[in-house]
Amino acid sequence: MSTTQMLKGIIDGCLLAIIKDKEVYGYEMAEKLESYGFHSFSEGTIYPLLLRMQKEGLVVSTLKESTAGPKRKYYSLTPKGELELNEFIERWNNLQSNVNKVLRCESDTKDTKGAEIIEE
Amino acid sequence: MKNELILSKKSKDFLGNLRVYLFSSGKKQDEIEEIVDELEIHLSEAERDGKSIEKIIGKSPKEYMEMVSNEMVIDYRTWFKYICIIIFGTFSFTIFPDLLEGNLSYSVLEIIGHIVIGTIFIASAFAGLKYSSTANQSFKKQGFILAGIAILPIVLFVGLIYLNRAIDTPTIHFGNMSSLIIGIITTLFIIGVSIWTKSWILVIIIALLTLPDYLLNLTTVQHETQLIISTIVTFGGIAIYLWISSKLKKNK
Repeated sequence: MSTTQMLKGIIDGCLLAIIKDKEVYGYEMAEKLESYGFHSFSEGTIYPLLLRMQKEGLVVSTLKESTAGPKRKYYSLTPKGELELNEFIERWNNLQSNVNKVLRCESDTKDTKGAEIIEE
Repeated sequence: MKNELILSKKSKDFLGNLRVYLFSSGKKQDEIEEIVDELEIHLSEAERDGKSIEKIIGKSPKEYMEMVSNEMVIDYRTWFKYICIIIFGTFSFTIFPDLLEGNLSYSVLEIIGHIVIGTIFIASAFAGLKYSSTANQSFKKQGFILAGIAILPIVLFVGLIYLNRAIDTPTIHFGNMSSLIIGIITTLFIIGVSIWTKSWILVIIIALLTLPDYLLNLTTVQHETQLIISTIVTFGGIAIYLWISSKLKKNK
């Protein structure tokens, strides 16, 4: 499974979290995601996601003047978006702890098995 | 006011193709403009920071276009409008010359055939646009596809004329009054479309198709000479109109 496939759904939540702090426009969001370590994804993929989140009423956008060039589209969270973000955080914490547990336990047993083989 | 953004040719081409792709997928014009503008800003900022276009849209522009398209709703109303305009438009090409010859009468086959050909033309035009916006073909191949789309309805219309002679279907005859009403509706429709599209092309082409024949008929010029003159005037006139309007566009 590629990282891109794993990221599906997760980027949505990350975008909500980024938008929650302050109004941001597309390029800023992509830059932020990158600064947090998401290097492998194509920046443009955020736009279809934003379109969907807008349709679902999680975010709203407004056009604002910028000093450099044409108007930028800034996104902000709706109350519904904030609820969705909280749910995402809960889901993510759950998922993360479960995956960690699986990986820790399973790799532990594997390690011991491996160690036994070497000892023999 | 919209400032011009600095963009590479590759990015500009991509945005142009995206616009065509979304348009031929039947998406709302304002929404198309919105997402294209947003991406234009993103691409220009990314290029300023030295990022490649692949970093933004991924390796396959087609996949990216599909992804964007899937999140946008289809604008059925506008589609319906285009279909009506094209079908009525092709009807008006036959209605005017026929009206000048007397009352209208069309066979059922002619009417249905007209609508079917109009629909086929629209479907093939949109499919062709969509295809040429995603596939990376040569200029020659694109020209070939577009020429095919343009020739297809002509071939079908010629086929319809022969089919209409071969097969007998009930004919609807319109009287003086109903012919006149159809003529007025068609005129209003053409004027409406011309105002809406801000282009007189429909009026000029119909006038060039209709008037030379009609006016020459009033003279005593020999029939063969009439045919030759009217053909030259019609096609020469259309060529001159296209030449002038392309000049005007360049000067803008």
